[in-house]
Amino acid sequence: MKTFPTEPIVWPDGAAALRAEVRGFLAEHHRHPDPVRRASSWAVPDAAFSRALGEAGYIGMTWPAEYGGHERSALERYIVLEELLAAGAPVGAHWIADRQTGPLLLRYGNEEQRRRWLPGMARGEVYACIGLSEPGAGSDLAAVRTSARREGDDWVINGQKVWTTNAHNAQLMIALVRSEAGSERNAGLSQFLIPMDAPGVTVRPIIDLTGGHDFNEVFLDDVRLPAAALVGVEGDGWKQVTAELSLERSGPERYISSLALLIELIAHAGPDAAEPVRSLIGRAAAQVSTLRLMSATVAARLAAGEDPALAATMVKDLGNSFEQALPHLVQASIEIDTADDTPLAAVLGYLLQVSPSFSLRGGTREILKGIIARGLGLR
Amino acid sequence: MNEQQQMLADMADGLFAELGPKATVAGHWGRIAEAGLTGLLVSDANGGFGGSWADALLVFRLAGYHALALPLVEAVVAARLSGVLDGLGSLAMRCEGVIDNGAFTGTVGGIAWGRDADYVIAAAPDGGAMLLRRGDATVREGRSIAGEPRDAWVVERAACTPIDGIDVAAIGAFVRVAQSAGALDAALALAVAHVNDRKQFGRPLAKFQAVQQSLATLACEAAAVNCAALAAAMALDARDASYAVAAAKTRAGEAIGEATAIAHQVHGAIGFTEEYGLHPLTRRLWCWRSEFGGDGHWASVLGGRIAAAGPARFWPDLTAIST
Repeated sequence: MKTFPTEPIVWPDGAAALRAEVRGFLAEHHRHPDPVRRASSWAVPDAAFSRALGEAGYIGMTWPAEYGGHERSALERYIVLEELLAAGAPVGAHWIADRQTGPLLLRYGNEEQRRRWLPGMARGEVYACIGLSEPGAGSDLAAVRTSARREGDDWVINGQKVWTTNAHNAQLMIALVRSEAGSERNAGLSQFLIPMDAPGVTVRPIIDLTGGHDFNEVFLDDVRLPAAALVGVEGDGWKQVTAELSLERSGPERYISSLALLIELIAHAGPDAAEPVRSLIGRAAAQVSTLRLMSATVAARLAAGEDPALAATMVKDLGNSFEQALPHLVQASIEIDTADDTPLAAVLGYLLQVSPSFSLRGGTREILKGIIARGLGLR
Repeated sequence: MNEQQQMLADMADGLFAELGPKATVAGHWGRIAEAGLTGLLVSDANGGFGGSWADALLVFRLAGYHALALPLVEAVVAARLSGVLDGLGSLAMRCEGVIDNGAFTGTVGGIAWGRDADYVIAAAPDGGAMLLRRGDATVREGRSIAGEPRDAWVVERAACTPIDGIDVAAIGAFVRVAQSAGALDAALALAVAHVNDRKQFGRPLAKFQAVQQSLATLACEAAAVNCAALAAAMALDARDASYAVAAAKTRAGEAIGEATAIAHQVHGAIGFTEEYGLHPLTRRLWCWRSEFGGDGHWASVLGGRIAAAGPARFWPDLTAIST
């Protein structure tokens, strides 16, 4: 049995130059970042930053030039992503469009959808959200009840989505809905592209326990869409969504949320760090280093045309566990006043509060472990 | 894996599976020597295979996978560090003593199969490494908790050859991570087979969600060690591997603690018996976790280095491992 790919990562030619170029870009556009903002990198929307990234050619990097992309390799994109996230750059506005929605439209979308939406995404001006969860369908996604009903050439959508990240910033949503009345479970589902300004779409904020606003409820009341709003094949929604989710499992964002805390801990410890903080830094670095290589290895296998689904799921499970554990390990090791306004106290306080979400978003720990168990031949 | 590596792996897999945890130096070392494995990392010019550390990882991982009870990994590395094929070499984990006029007086300890070795590579008392021939050393025999020989040599004014630029602890740590990567995958394979086979409450254990989730965790830990081992091997081949090795040994130590507990738990009582094949893996893993520096040691080394470099260097130094 081999639990992980044994092929080494072969970085593309020019990787070091690209990495230096991104660091240069960040030095110019991302000065004096606040540590709490850094820790929430891919949840922080910043339209100006997204536009600057788009201008620099760092969004839609692997997409065809005819849709505004830059035809770079998957590993070049990986380098840019990990550099942006490690610096805690505010990539939240365009994050979902770049990672998920753009690739989904390239794979399953029709020509009209691609031409209409992809160039704006690549410019860092068009943002997306994903309509999956519903009040009765969380981990059990096949329980979705939002419906699409044919009326002449149109589709009419009714239902409700929830926990929809970025819906309040996005111009479009890709929603998974039941397009065949009376269908059960993962049959009869389809994906639709819904412009967020379409009549009948209402977005209401859900405020998280820190007072932050990432999540929303999205109500869909008699939202009328043309036939061309269907994404991919009618009835293939489940298959398309499953493929889409594998794109979001193993990226660097799955282990890197607590990196800002580790960096503040190193600053706090000083050059002659004493135990136990010194060993904690070493243990955390060993985890981060390993997770980075696991994540990059999956990216390299994906780029080679393989489907390392099991490895990708393991990266997310391990990554989330690490980024969730670190705030508690730090708190256990140092004396800290959580009311303090030092960078370390601020970022620790923030991560203690948001870290429960790390093993929920993008598939709960329990669901991921179930997927791994299936890959091991246990289910 | 290239074609040559595939052939090497296939050969090692078959041979180690056959020899396994019941092999003895007296009975079976000839098979290893016949296969030419000792020269894996020795240059072609000196009669070896001229392999890389990535090649070594393939072989060491399989030695761990099959709980091979022979000093294969130590012999391969000792031959590489000495540069020539000349008798059976091993590695020492400890060294106490002094070098005076090119002669060493003291004790080198933690030598795997020291009783059978002709020479040993040890950390030198004043830094660097040294090659020590057995000569008239007094051998003090010991055994690890896995039952493998871990001996000490007590020597007086023995000729020793300095070897520059070698960190025996770091190379030893890499070797143990490589073996651990294999042993963890093997423990997982045994556990998966067991829970699919064993029925309780009218169904296979594999159908219980609690068992599934435990084994998913075990798989993740094994995967992490395999990835860390590959990174360390690539770093040894490419440049300064001190960061990658420290990270890998630290990560492996943590994984061994968690993974062996799960492997035993899902096996129930049968995994605790002498006749069943889990303990040759787990008992070795428990030894390897401590050998050539435990995770506490390497975490402190790594943490000290990172702290000294400062927060601004954290990410650039981390990415320099593979870039």
